[in-house]
Amino acid sequence: MAQAPSRSLVQNPAQDISSSRLAPWRARLKTSMLGYGLILPSLLVFLTFFYGPAIFLAYIAFFHWNIFTQASTFVGFENFVTLFHQPVFWQALLNTAYYVIVLVPATALLALGLALLLREGLSHRRGGISRAFIFLPHVTPVVATSIIWVWIFNPQFGLANTVLHFFHIPALNWLESVHWALPSVMIYTLWHSVGLYTVLFLAGLASIPRSVIEAATTDGARGWRMFKRVFWPLLGPITFFVLVLASINTMQTFSQIYTLTGGPHGGAGGPAFSTTTDSLLIYQTAFLYLHFSLASAMSIILFILIMTLTLIQKWVADRFVFYR
Amino acid sequence: MRKAFRFRTLLLIVLPILFFLPIYWTFVIAVGYHGAAYHLPPVWVPLFHWTPVLYVLTHTHWLRYVANTVGITAATIVLVLFTSALAGYALAEIPFKGHSVYFLLVIGVMMLPQQALLVPQYVVLFHLHMLNTYSAMVIPFAANSSSIFLFRQFFKKIPVSFPEIARIEGVSTMRYIFRVAMPLAKPAVATSVLLTFIAAWNQFQWPLIMTNSPQIQPIELALSHYMQTYQANWRELASAALLALSPILIVFAFTQKHIVQAVAGGDLNAKD
Repeated sequence: MAQAPSRSLVQNPAQDISSSRLAPWRARLKTSMLGYGLILPSLLVFLTFFYGPAIFLAYIAFFHWNIFTQASTFVGFENFVTLFHQPVFWQALLNTAYYVIVLVPATALLALGLALLLREGLSHRRGGISRAFIFLPHVTPVVATSIIWVWIFNPQFGLANTVLHFFHIPALNWLESVHWALPSVMIYTLWHSVGLYTVLFLAGLASIPRSVIEAATTDGARGWRMFKRVFWPLLGPITFFVLVLASINTMQTFSQIYTLTGGPHGGAGGPAFSTTTDSLLIYQTAFLYLHFSLASAMSIILFILIMTLTLIQKWVADRFVFYR
Repeated sequence: MRKAFRFRTLLLIVLPILFFLPIYWTFVIAVGYHGAAYHLPPVWVPLFHWTPVLYVLTHTHWLRYVANTVGITAATIVLVLFTSALAGYALAEIPFKGHSVYFLLVIGVMMLPQQALLVPQYVVLFHLHMLNTYSAMVIPFAANSSSIFLFRQFFKKIPVSFPEIARIEGVSTMRYIFRVAMPLAKPAVATSVLLTFIAAWNQFQWPLIMTNSPQIQPIELALSHYMQTYQANWRELASAALLALSPILIVFAFTQKHIVQAVAGGDLNAKD
């Protein structure tokens, strides 16, 4: 079984006869060598730029460490202790939690609604076009589209306040206000990413057998009842997947926060640290203030948070989600 | 019932317009009349005054940044196709020792939180003397888990007799992969190319951290710097944003069906 697809190059019959007892072993070795040769390029990239750094991360976090002098002393958990004494670290954790807790359910709900809406419309040609327009923001470059959103959020001339004015709601300061800066980023992220999750829900809806839906329709189910009894249980796995993916992605939001709150306003993360999230703080600590060890300690905490979140969601899904 | 239907149709028309509005607004500010950005209530008509766009093209190093991005994107695509075809073939056809370990490694890469790895990745690039080079923006993205799985999936569908015949005919493995297997896996190639194109073109945080010389920066990073330089000059800024956006918009316009299905990981139309 092992040698069949692999002995690709020209065979040497004389050699095969002389070492007939070793032949299967030799063939297996050859197979393996070929396999290793083929996976080598990708393996090198993964090991050098992903797994290597992942292991190295733990090393930096437990040392007083300087990239330029290469001098390092083992300090145990000192970096973590220093970190826990920084108010801005807790502020960043709080901001990240706020951002994730509001944005993930909002994104998932909106995506589910859009998917249900589009599902009805997809029988027409128009449906495909609607889907494309809702998905489009997801593939646009973040900085390029953030530029226009900075202008949309402009307190004086922006479209956001024009809309509020239309509904007779008092104008907001959006990105320049401590209370509204992070929600503004959420609005941008919602716009940018909801198409992705909508499409994932659409794939989930498409996998529901038509016979099930037809049977339910014959039994008189429609509207809310149809959703609650048919779509919702059958969408369990995909909902779980969307929640995990959205949490992991939102916990790591960087580019839009950097661009929306930085850019013309100077340092990102403001005003008054109100949009400083985990990833932004890691970036600033490491690459602006060059505290690599502190940033690594923070990275480890982020790493653990993301892994824990994934495991909790997995546990919840295993217990409560109905898998077919 | 009829009313509900009409409401749904209305939403299906209004919502896509709302989602597209910010992109259209970029266009209006860039090529609209001079004070479009500051006009209240907003004016929605583009006048096709291309002066600000031409200004960005001629008075900044824009073409240089475009060339950088195009080069980085093209190189990444070629390398991703190369590594994924090889690894996909190995996973699909060759029962080498450690097969399952490699499989887990490929899955594992997708689970590593990118933001948590930036610091050690920077250190690794520092030691490899790759900081501030084009290769820093290409090599780390030269292998890609989803492309590898995609190729594996397509190579598995090729009948067993194909590699058999190739072997009997004395065709080398490499030749078989690139001349026989890859042309048979065209959808996988197309999907990999599109997704890599989007990811590479939109790169921002990685070059922000790993490079600091303006000569090699890609457009997204250049745009971020423009925001500081042209902060009050919304026409130029919007024009630059439009220039960065348009290749994505053009590619998306022609391949949207394929891209959406690639991201969704399957067919989106209801099956029986």
